[in-house]
Amino acid sequence: MAEYAHPEVLVDTNWLAEHLNDPTVRILESNEDILLYDTGHIPGALKIDWLADLNDPVQRDYLDKAGFEKLASRLGINNDTTVVFYGDKNNWWATYAFWVFKLFGHKDARILNGGRAKWIAEGRELTKEVPQVAPGSYVANERDDSSIRAFRDQVLQHIKQEGAALVDVRSPQEYSGERTHMPEYPQEGTLRGGHIPTAKSIPWAKAANEDGTFKSPDELKTLYEGQGITPDKDVIAYCRIGERSSHTWFVLKYLLGYPKVRNYDGSWTEWGNGVGLPIEK
Amino acid sequence: MNRQEVIERLLDHYRSPRHRGKLPDADVVRSGGHPGCGDVITVYLKVDPEKQQVAALSFEGEGCTVSQAAASILTEKMQHADLAEIEALDDQEMIDILGREVVQARVTCATLALTTLQRAVHQYRREASKPHE
Repeated sequence: MAEYAHPEVLVDTNWLAEHLNDPTVRILESNEDILLYDTGHIPGALKIDWLADLNDPVQRDYLDKAGFEKLASRLGINNDTTVVFYGDKNNWWATYAFWVFKLFGHKDARILNGGRAKWIAEGRELTKEVPQVAPGSYVANERDDSSIRAFRDQVLQHIKQEGAALVDVRSPQEYSGERTHMPEYPQEGTLRGGHIPTAKSIPWAKAANEDGTFKSPDELKTLYEGQGITPDKDVIAYCRIGERSSHTWFVLKYLLGYPKVRNYDGSWTEWGNGVGLPIEK
Repeated sequence: MNRQEVIERLLDHYRSPRHRGKLPDADVVRSGGHPGCGDVITVYLKVDPEKQQVAALSFEGEGCTVSQAAASILTEKMQHADLAEIEALDDQEMIDILGREVVQARVTCATLALTTLQRAVHQYRREASKPHE
């Protein structure tokens, strides 16, 4: 059986259990549910929140170099720290935080395969004790938005280019535009439903097993190549706000080793509200 | 309350929700939610028409700790409240009731129950104003 292209970015629960007290490892829990960490977390883990910690508080963007250095230092992270992310929702927010760390060039970031759910399903220890950590001393790169992040105007150009591929990782109902029409659910935050022209519908969940772990390299290869998302292409993934697509970005970039993959974090909440942007249903 | 006390209160309501369950004789049953993240609330509202007050209020739901705790806290607080009081409550007040420093990073979750309850009141008033056949 083939191996993942970059197996070093995945750790399993056994590995993590053996490194709970490793001073070179910082474990970060990144959840959608903001209080889940407080109900019990992996011993030694600290909480990182996608909104409160990783987003700019005013502008729709991420924190800057100084903000990232402050955050990393507060979490006891140095430039050479191995940072292991895990979380709820099949690791959506773990891969999202991983992606943001990569925007700043953090070298050794990893994902706990199966996330929080697998750790709990195996009956492993949880604690409510928040660890006290010595502040780190982090020197970040300037945030690099050019190689793994895509913006609206780039997507607009992208869909006109030969050899470019776009992956819509939302549910089929969101892809078709059906879901935003439901009158009981106005909070989706978009004025229009549908998808970006040329996008292939490959919901993120197809890359995950029932236990939240990633599917095998062969299964992933078949899934994406079967839809024409091949490694020779320049690929952009999107969802609603960029968290589910960070999961797919991680799969394509690190598990399958595609050289050019970007995450469009503006995603449907930007595109579906954009005046004059083309939409297909 | 300090931050930890706010968290403990929210988790208490999440684990032991008050007024959770169907209300068989509700005047209005109203649902709302965020399908993207899985938070869903259904509000059951029975009104005292003479007093224009809540006669009984309950909820059912699924989702994150904040959305479910907020529904429990709100339904507890609004038992026998004037409908006008519910209509006048705004998102910021709801965030303060729950604990701003903890829930401000999840405003849509924190206000889902309130939004849904206010829609239920609106629906009640609309239906009550229709002429009887």
